Order: sequence, then structure tokens, then C-alpha cells
Amino acid sequence: MTTAPRPTSVGEAGSGGGSCTLPAGAADTAPRPGKRPRRRGPGGEALSGYLFVAPAVVLFAVMGLYTVGYGFLLSFASWNGFTPHWTWVGLDNYADLLWRSPVYAPRVRSAGLNTLWVMIAVPVLTVMVSFPLAVLLNQARRMQGVLRSVFFLPYVTSGIAVFFAWQYILRPDGAVNLLLDGIGLGSLQQPQGWLGNPDTALPTLIVVTVWGAVPVSMLLYLTGLQTIDRSLLEAAQLDGAGWWRTNASVVWPLLRPITAIVVLLNLRDSLQGFQTFLVMTNGGPGDHTNVLGLEAYSLAFLKQLRPTLGLASALGWLLFAAALVLALINLRALRSKT
Amino acid sequence: MALATTTALTLTTLSACGGSDSGSDSKSLEMWTFKQSHVGALRAAATEFKKETGISVKVEVYTPDDAYTTKVQSAAKTNGLPDVLEVHSDGEDFVLGAAGVTADLQDQVPDAWSGRFQEAIKGSGTVTPQKFKESQAKDSTFKGVEEGQRFSVPLTAGTFGIVYANKRKLADAGITKAPATWEEFLAAVEATHHKDPKTGGISLGLKVKSTGLTWVLQPLAFAQLGKQAYWDLFGKDKAGDFGSANGTKVLSMYDQLTPYWMPGTQTLSIDEADQAFAQGKSAFAVGGTFTLAFLQQNDMKADDVFAFGLPAPKGGAVPDRALGPLALTGLSLTATSEQPENAKKWMEFLSGTDVAARFAKESADLPATELGADSAKVLGPALTAMIESFDGTGETTYDPSLNDFRPPGYDQDVAGEVLTNLSPLGRETPAQTGAKLRELNSDYWATQ
Repeated sequence: MTTAPRPTSVGEAGSGGGSCTLPAGAADTAPRPGKRPRRRGPGGEALSGYLFVAPAVVLFAVMGLYTVGYGFLLSFASWNGFTPHWTWVGLDNYADLLWRSPVYAPRVRSAGLNTLWVMIAVPVLTVMVSFPLAVLLNQARRMQGVLRSVFFLPYVTSGIAVFFAWQYILRPDGAVNLLLDGIGLGSLQQPQGWLGNPDTALPTLIVVTVWGAVPVSMLLYLTGLQTIDRSLLEAAQLDGAGWWRTNASVVWPLLRPITAIVVLLNLRDSLQGFQTFLVMTNGGPGDHTNVLGLEAYSLAFLKQLRPTLGLASALGWLLFAAALVLALINLRALRSKT
Repeated sequence: MALATTTALTLTTLSACGGSDSGSDSKSLEMWTFKQSHVGALRAAATEFKKETGISVKVEVYTPDDAYTTKVQSAAKTNGLPDVLEVHSDGEDFVLGAAGVTADLQDQVPDAWSGRFQEAIKGSGTVTPQKFKESQAKDSTFKGVEEGQRFSVPLTAGTFGIVYANKRKLADAGITKAPATWEEFLAAVEATHHKDPKTGGISLGLKVKSTGLTWVLQPLAFAQLGKQAYWDLFGKDKAGDFGSANGTKVLSMYDQLTPYWMPGTQTLSIDEADQAFAQGKSAFAVGGTFTLAFLQQNDMKADDVFAFGLPAPKGGAVPDRALGPLALTGLSLTATSEQPENAKKWMEFLSGTDVAARFAKESADLPATELGADSAKVLGPALTAMIESFDGTGETTYDPSLNDFRPPGYDQDVAGEVLTNLSPLGRETPAQTGAKLRELNSDYWATQ
């Protein structure tokens, strides 16, 4: 840490000598003959520092600490968001969600199972799609920038509008069914739409989620690929390794840390994300696509003002705990491999 | 210093977020609604109101209902509420009132004002002894209200369980009049479906999970079983609940619709299902009296449809079952309004006979105000036909506003999910569905 005195300001340097105007920036470096630079006391320096960090600290205190603390307290209460007072229920919310309530516990279990499928399928499929895509894109000699933009498009356009567009595409008379019919695969059409059949609804949502997750993952892989020392690849090729062998035995292991990051990010999103599910199916048909994130949102906002905000908060904390455990496992796995 | 100023400005901006500008001008009110079809009519009324009083009213819409609830919820927390809210009557208004978000209008709605409303709903928004009893339940959403308090005045009236049929599609299938019984209704649906399996069915926004239960199964079950046996479906006694023979019977009747749902109707929101009907993708749609307004917004004329209450089965206990009218939406004065007197003037202005008649024409919705002998002329044939479905006695009228026979805390959405597995998904039989609904009811009763 430096303790060098801060330079004087232009105004101070120029006082009394109006004819001498220093160019911008020069004031920071030009010596002042015959005048000792005034040092700001340690108190002033500290104050500047505090002022610089104040906006971030205030925002974190309000949006972070206060919200998190408020949410944590709420998880021990029963409240509908409106009434002036909370009813303290202790650990009842957690017990109700996990095993005790005949109404909520089975729903959480069912949503947990759906979430588990999403947590397995989304990271695996994302890696399976984004790694080969990144390898191919890295080898493209022409239009690499354009192709990268095209493949990144889903991420840029992700949002509620895209989910609505997917809904239209997946309807009984939507583009997917029409396309299947057009290419002679009419038997694969879904007469009730891809989101209307409980057997296809969850897999379809997984595919849409993967579609949204691939761009960032691909970009991470692409960055990783560009940091690999070319001499390693050339050495492998000199040893007779072909394209497949080079990628499987050299590139893939070298990018293992990036795979770990991709998996972790997608695990977290799969555990906590619910926007796709809310907009496209609202957990339906029936409750066949209900996931834990959606259940928490539903308990908070879609219960016709029943006092279930505390339950929602408790479920949120359970999800946080699960995410934390996953992160620690991932960190441990990373440490042992790299 | 600049940094400190920036920080202070940031904080000021943050604290100002979500704030309403109502109150900044003593002649300016703000009102929020969740009904897109009401916006035009309310803004037209606001223009008239300004001419008469000099008070301007800014009408904003936040839709659909869930988004509106979230908006009101967050605005209440950030002190950003408008002066007047359109609310779901006899439910949401009590919740907001119990929480102190909306003002108590007890003794502030004189007879001269409440007397303008239709007789059956003039007290809507008031905590009746029955509602007070409901508020005492452990899981009540409006615990804390007191008997006699009033948290809204009615704006629109109507009911659910109204069926809309595409006249052209019915004519193509050889049908020229609205079905009068459940059997005729099924035959008509079958005929249109037979004519065109892709566009001859029924659309209903089953993505909103309770619609099948509350708009079709319940009025059907009431007509088939009669009032008491219908109430027993939700009771503790297994002899008459959904798992009983009665339960299986009504669930089997509901299941008769399974082959005729519009493809993918289980993935559609209410608006999307109505839109599909307006676009000719289905021959029938189920909704409420308020649906006609939306159909008109989607270029379907009132003359293009038959509108009728969901028909009762011929051999049922109540073959002449009526659908009870209720106040669907009301107007609440927020507790934070800085101009409560002006706001009440606006609320009262909307209940005026002439204003309500113009509102009805503009929004194609039934106003809560009694329009008198000329109502048929004002409302047109489609809305008038719907009003005819209200004619009944206490014993023959299905009243969707009654809830006290259900277990407290009962969540219609969860029951709706169970029902979806029967129809349209066809994953379970009526008996299996009945058993699951019985279990669900028992769980709710057990939590009391």
C-alpha cells in the first residue's frame, strides 16, 4: 500500500499565478518549484476513501444485508405481505415444507424431483452442446466473429418475450409440429403441443433452458480454447493424434476447470431459476413442470394474499443451503483436479 | 463533496422509486385497474368527471391479475399507491382493508349512493356476519376485519360459468339455438367437433389452474346434486365428499368433455383461450360475463355468439339452476390517498346511472349500477341474455361467492391441478381423481 502524498489540485497550484495554465494531467506530475506540496491529513484521505466506497456500501447494505436479513427473519414468520404484524412461527415453516404439512410437503417433494431432473439434464446437455460448438467455432477460419455473434444471440435476446415466442413455436399448430410434418416425421408431432403433454413438457423446458445457457458456456469454452498453448496441440499432432484424439485427450482435460464453472453456473440456475417455467407453463399441465423456484415464487405472490410469504422465504433459504453445498462440492472437486 | 452529493442523490432517487405522484396536485387523482377492457371506459368517464368537477383522474392498467397483485403489494410497501384501486370484490378488498392498505368506508356510503347498485350486490365490500366468521379462521387472508366495515363499493357485476358459442360454427353443424341442457350442450360440442376436430372444441384457459374447477365443475355439480350435496363434496364426511359416489358421478360428467377440449387448451391463459375462440380455433369458450368485452376487443361481435350460463343436466337435482350474480370488481379508496374526498367523489360519480350506462357500452361489461327498465337497450342482447341466467331462488342459484363450506385455507389452484389430470389430460379416472380430491380436502381440514 502506498502512503505517498496526493498531488495538489490545479486550483491550488495556480493560485496567484493566473498566467500559468497547466495542461490537463500535467498538474498531477509537474513539480512546483519553491512551493512544498500541501499534504492532506490522514483523516481527509480516509474520508475520501469512505466517500468513494459509500455508494457501494449503502447499496449493499440496503439491497443486500437488509434484504437478506429481512428474508431470513421472514422465514420464521407467517405473513401475507400486507398486514402490519408478522406472526412468529419459529421453525414451523421449515418443518411444514420438509415433512409436516400434508398440503405443502408433497408439493415440495414433487417439485424437488422435477428440479433434480433439470439439475442433471441442463448442465450435462449444456456442456455436450457448448464444448463441441466452441471447438468448431475456434477452428473457423472465416466469419468467426459473425458466427460467434449468431451463437450468442439467444443470450442477448433472452427474456420474457423469447419465452412467449417459444410458447407459440411449441403449440399444437406451432412451428415445431409443422416442421416435423413437413419433413415427414409427422408421427413425432405432439397433438396437444409440446408443453401440453406431461411427458414432453419438462424435457421441452429443459431444451429451452439449455438453448438459453449455451451461449455463455460456449463463450467460456472459446476463451479457454484461445488460451491453450498451440505448442501443446502441435506436439500432440506430431505424435500422431488426430482431430478427435487431440480434442478428447488434450483439449478436454485442459478445459476441465471451465467445465466445472459451466456445470456450477448451470446447476445454480437450474436450482433457483424459474422464469421459463412461470411464463411458459406456470408449472402445468397439472403440476408436471413445477420446480422449487417456481413453488417459492408461487408461495410468495400467487396465493391470493394468503399468509405464505414466510413459507416462500423458508423455501428460498433451503434452496440457498442446497446451492451452497453444491458450490462447496464443486470447489472441492476443482481443487483436487487442478 | 461531489461524491457525497452523488450518494445523496442516489439515495433520494432510491427513496423516490415507486412513489405515486398523486397528491402533488390537489385536483389530480390516480386510479389503477387490472382490467384492460375497463381502461377506455374509465378514461372516458374521467374526461366527463373533469368537465364536471375540474378534478382530473389518471387511469393506469396493470394486467393480468397476478401482476396487478404484485404491483399493489410492492406499491403498498413503498408508499406508492394511487388514490383509488379497482379490486376483486368481497375478497381482495377485505385483504387490503385488513392490512390497512385501503380505507374503511363504513358510514361513508350513504343510501343515496348504495341505493344505485343492483339489489343483490349493494352491500358488496361490507364485512357481513358471514364474512366476519370467515375472517376468524386460522388461515384467513383478512383476519382482523370488523363486522360492518366496508372496504369497497361495487363497480361491475356478473358471474362465472358463462359459455360462449360461435354461431357460425354451430350453424355449420346444424345447430341454430343455444343449448338448454348439459346433454344438449354435449351434443352440440360433439357435433361441432365432428364437423372439424381441430377447431370444433372448447377452449378454456386451463393454465390458470382453477378455471376448470370453478367455472365448469362446480356449477355442474351444484345442478346435478343440489346445494347441500354439492357443499358436502368439500366436507369432512366421506359419505358425501369427492371420493363418494356423488363425487365420482360429477367427475364423470366433467370427464365427458375430455375428447372435446381444444388441442393444447391446458397450456393457455384465460386471455389466450378467449383469443383462440375469437380467432375461430374453437367453437365454444367458457368464461364469465366479463369475457364478452375481451372477445369484442379481438374483433368478435356480440351478434356472432350465443352466450348462456353453463347448462344444467336434465335429470339433475336442480335442472333450472341459475348462476348467482355477484359484484365482480369494486373500487377501494387507499388509506394513503391525500385527497380522500375527491377520490370518493370519483367513486360515486362512476356509480351514476348515466355514467354506468356509458361504461357498459364502452366496456361491454355489466355495471354494478341498476340501469332500470332500459337496461336491455343499453346492454344489448348478448349481455341481456347473460342476465337471464341470474334468475333463480336461494335454493336453485349457484352462488360462486359462498366459500364457508370448504375447508379454511382451501387452495383452488391445487385442486385444479388434480382435476387437470382427469380432464383434459386423461391420466386418471374419475374415481382416482375423486380419491385425490378427498385426500386434499382432508389435508386442508387436518391443518385446522
